[in-house]
Amino acid sequence: MSQTNEAKTEKTHEGDWDAYIKAYYEKPVSFKSWSGYDVKEIYTPDDRSVEDYGKNISDAGTYPFTRGIHANMFRGRLWTKREVVGIGSPADTHARLKYLAEHGGSGLNTIADVTYEMGLDADHPWAVNEVGLTGVNITSIRDMEALTKDIPLDKVSWSLITASTAASVTMAQYVAVAESGGYNLAGLRGSIQNDPIHFRYCGFRPACPLDLSIKLGSDVMEYCTKRLPKWYYTTVNMYDLREQGINASQEVAFGFCIAMCYIDELIRRGLDIDEFAPRFTFYVSCHIDIFEEVAKIRAARRMWARLVKEKYGAKDPKSMQFRFAVHTAGCSLIPQQPLNNIVRVAYEALAAVLGGVQSLHCCSYDEPMCLPTEKAHLQALRTQQILAYETGVTNVADPLGGSYYVENLTDRIEDESLKIMKQVEELGGMEEAIRTEWLDRQFESEAVKRQKELDNGDKLVVGVNIFNTEQEKTTPLGVQRVSEQSAKKQVEDVKELKRSRDKDKLKDAIKRLRDDAGEGKNVIPAMVDTTKAFGTTGELLGTVREVFGYSYDPMETIESPFNW
Amino acid sequence: MVKRTEQRIKVLVTKVGLDGHDRGIKVVASMLKEAGMEVLYLGMYQTPESIVRAAIDEDVDVIGLSYLSGEHLIFTPKIVEEMKKNGLEDILLIAGGTFPAEDIPTMEKMGIDKVFRAGTLTDEFVQYIVGNLKR
Repeated sequence: MSQTNEAKTEKTHEGDWDAYIKAYYEKPVSFKSWSGYDVKEIYTPDDRSVEDYGKNISDAGTYPFTRGIHANMFRGRLWTKREVVGIGSPADTHARLKYLAEHGGSGLNTIADVTYEMGLDADHPWAVNEVGLTGVNITSIRDMEALTKDIPLDKVSWSLITASTAASVTMAQYVAVAESGGYNLAGLRGSIQNDPIHFRYCGFRPACPLDLSIKLGSDVMEYCTKRLPKWYYTTVNMYDLREQGINASQEVAFGFCIAMCYIDELIRRGLDIDEFAPRFTFYVSCHIDIFEEVAKIRAARRMWARLVKEKYGAKDPKSMQFRFAVHTAGCSLIPQQPLNNIVRVAYEALAAVLGGVQSLHCCSYDEPMCLPTEKAHLQALRTQQILAYETGVTNVADPLGGSYYVENLTDRIEDESLKIMKQVEELGGMEEAIRTEWLDRQFESEAVKRQKELDNGDKLVVGVNIFNTEQEKTTPLGVQRVSEQSAKKQVEDVKELKRSRDKDKLKDAIKRLRDDAGEGKNVIPAMVDTTKAFGTTGELLGTVREVFGYSYDPMETIESPFNW
Repeated sequence: MVKRTEQRIKVLVTKVGLDGHDRGIKVVASMLKEAGMEVLYLGMYQTPESIVRAAIDEDVDVIGLSYLSGEHLIFTPKIVEEMKKNGLEDILLIAGGTFPAEDIPTMEKMGIDKVFRAGTLTDEFVQYIVGNLKR
């Protein structure tokens, strides 16, 4: 024992403290923003034109909304604390929603699993292994009933995260349950992600052919315009694009280009920009570079206002307001030294709030390991609450507005994003950029660039390429597992439902859905009726797919049961 | 037994099941190519059977699996079994992605030679492959 101590002391004298001494003189190695823009030592009044305040910046609540969409921002209402929930069966997911509500969550937010996003019923051969692993599968109206059980749909605001063409089914299932429960559709508040175009880049290409994505995505939007005036019916998902490895300017540019695909289609259908633009929302990433993320959000607000007004001729200021939710960047989190993720998320959430966010999901620290445990989920919610109630960041609208640096960076991101949008236009527009896989190539080359930055030490991440001495063998607050029993029960329940439902009623409903799709009508009303007749996710989507010349089953494994 | 030292190392990388997170696997494929290896990316929606069939057809030295949707404990035993059934014990089997630290020993017990988590630098997995080929 004493020998060991002696040896240790001796070694210490030999140089263990050298690191300490060296560390005293540490300084940053890079003077670039996360997106790679050179940053100067100091920014001064010369770096932005203050005389353009009215035109380019302006007070919060006034065009071009650079500083926020409301004059008083969080004084009027805090952002919605909306943690994403989706695990196992609808009942398991419901239980977690209830848990978060009991601890101060202020918005419901449920996410589809991979099987549901692909448009597969729980009993599909590809689905049975993976039901509930990454979210919740809703196969029939029964599942939607279980998910929404006892929740007053006319009072809550619900965010339904289904992004693929299956969003049309989710909307129909939610409407079917609301109507059956006697709710007035016009009073429902919430949002549906419904951005199938972006979702082809998240592994759901078989469920998201481009024409069907535009058709069904726009059907949901058009239907809600008429029937659910308080509903936000698309959340254009810039977050998922950013997670592919692209930079802040590309995130805004690609997101806006995708949004324009839907806008163009709705206008083609005869809708006025002011009828639908106020119900467009965006899902934005907040990565780790605080100032750049705030600048990105401010640039996006200004760009959206100008795009909608100047290009599309909007007159209603509500159309010009860029409404957005933030998801802190999952890809910035790492499994090494996992508790550090709590700190990363807090900085990212701070950026979101300084940027004037409407709704926020904080990743739990265990994001790069498993679905959130109850404790991790609660911790993420607490991060939001500390920000909201302790830090004072809610006092003032756009507290970073007028910062020479942030204003300069806002201009920079706007310029870069506009350049990229111009490039897409020159390629023949976004649909063409998608068809020719130009966009795929952007994602791939940027992702490789990010890895090389880590390999070379151009970007530093604690636990990855600096200060990476620990090797944890366990996850601090435990691991969330998905109940195999729940998944099995859901599969069995679906099989039972398919055996026992009224086949004639279903047949009539499917026939109408097929006819409506064939005649180019909006398919959502027929989807609602088919859902009420116990038609399932795969059946609804498959029927429409066939009409558009695609395989009934995106995985091309099963045939339509309705081939009469 | 083929002596591989004078030839390029041949690696098959793939997704399994419905998991659509393919940023990581594509980056790994690019980095392995830059390290001089021959890389075959099978793409998404593969099954244990389709992976093993491709490994045989292409006569690969390494199979790399990418798991990001919590499916690692479900598919790993099925892939290992399929490999054994086809006598592919001399293929190095590695996996990467997101999973809890607790699952790494389990995955190794199931038959994966080495598990890499998110946040691994290129040098580490390239060196591992070069130093641990089984054929």
